Amino acid sequence: MGLIRGIADAVIEKAKHEVKDYLIKFMEEEKEKEKNQAGQEAETPIKKSADKLDASPTEQEVDEHIPNNEEDEILPLIEPQFIKLTYKTGQTGFQVPSELIDLTMMLPVVEFSCYIKLLMFCHEQRKNFGYLGNTLKKKLGFDDLDSSDFETAMENLEKYGLLSIDQVSENQRTFIVYLPFDEELYSKVESTGKTKKNSSKNNRKKESKDFKSENKETEHHDAKNSDDDLPGKMMSGMENEDLYKSYRTFVSLEIDKAKMRVGRSNFDKIYMEAVKYIDKKYGFKVLSDSEKFKEYLTNYYISAFDILTFEQWKKNKL
Amino acid sequence: MVDARILLKTLTDIEVKIMLCKSAFEWELLAKKYSDIEEKISAFFKKDKIPQNFELALNNVRVLLVQKKGELPPIDLSDFFK
Repeated sequence: MGLIRGIADAVIEKAKHEVKDYLIKFMEEEKEKEKNQAGQEAETPIKKSADKLDASPTEQEVDEHIPNNEEDEILPLIEPQFIKLTYKTGQTGFQVPSELIDLTMMLPVVEFSCYIKLLMFCHEQRKNFGYLGNTLKKKLGFDDLDSSDFETAMENLEKYGLLSIDQVSENQRTFIVYLPFDEELYSKVESTGKTKKNSSKNNRKKESKDFKSENKETEHHDAKNSDDDLPGKMMSGMENEDLYKSYRTFVSLEIDKAKMRVGRSNFDKIYMEAVKYIDKKYGFKVLSDSEKFKEYLTNYYISAFDILTFEQWKKNKL
Repeated sequence: MVDARILLKTLTDIEVKIMLCKSAFEWELLAKKYSDIEEKISAFFKKDKIPQNFELALNNVRVLLVQKKGELPPIDLSDFFK
């Protein structure tokens, strides 16, 4: 939070300077215009003094009008193509692409913090889309922020072109956060343009093949998408998340059952074999990386104890 | 030459500590030490081929570490599934 606050302060400072420079420039231009007009109309001394007197009200008008315009009209910073993305496995830290750093520097404080927190949230849930509502507000840590302020910030982010909001039903809205696509970091799930419906349908089979090696959650999500043609609709994604959680619980229970079935000493032997296999196949570094080791160990147990794969389990469940 | 001996000595130390290792935490420390020494040895010999005795020692320690990891109580996966 300290870092974000620091960045936010820096953004405010920069914005202040920019507005100041803009106002000074604007006032100088106005003055020059007035001088030119006065010269052309063969001015009298009285008119000159009147112009000088008028100069201060125009300055005040400028001061009053600019903030209003800023509030009324928000121009998009970019014209992005919103694509549903899932994060590939193996990313440890949270990254802000350099393109986004430049863009977010232009944002007001609330929108800036909303966007950065959204990016963090997306990184945590490993996808750049989800439901928009109070739950999201809480998950982003904006409990103290008024719902209306949060809504406004989100709407403004949409106006800036960094977020796409879609009304799925009367009470449900979904969002897609803009992220510059990077093949190394993300996998495409579905493009949101209606014109791209057909091509995305054709690509789904190919995509699902790629996802197998990356992430079971992604794979499941993709399969669900083939039933769901509405652009920006996240129902399937959210269901997948819950389904995958249930699957993980199922796997955990099956491993416990297998442990009881084979007995302690046999289970220890299987574990020993798993360690040797992982070292041989994936290298020693995987053994010392706790999270990766757990992941590979789980996969080993799934094979060794004939536990249903996610797809098989899903079919049985449905 | 003295440096090379120090590197070999460190490998031997790790080998002894592996035998005394009784917990996953200790194992992780030793694994880290092994990775560090492996990098140091590669850096020390740079483009030259790593001498056979060093390769043997490295392989031996690695095998011992893998063996020890397998002998320690299996990792609890319950946190992983939460």
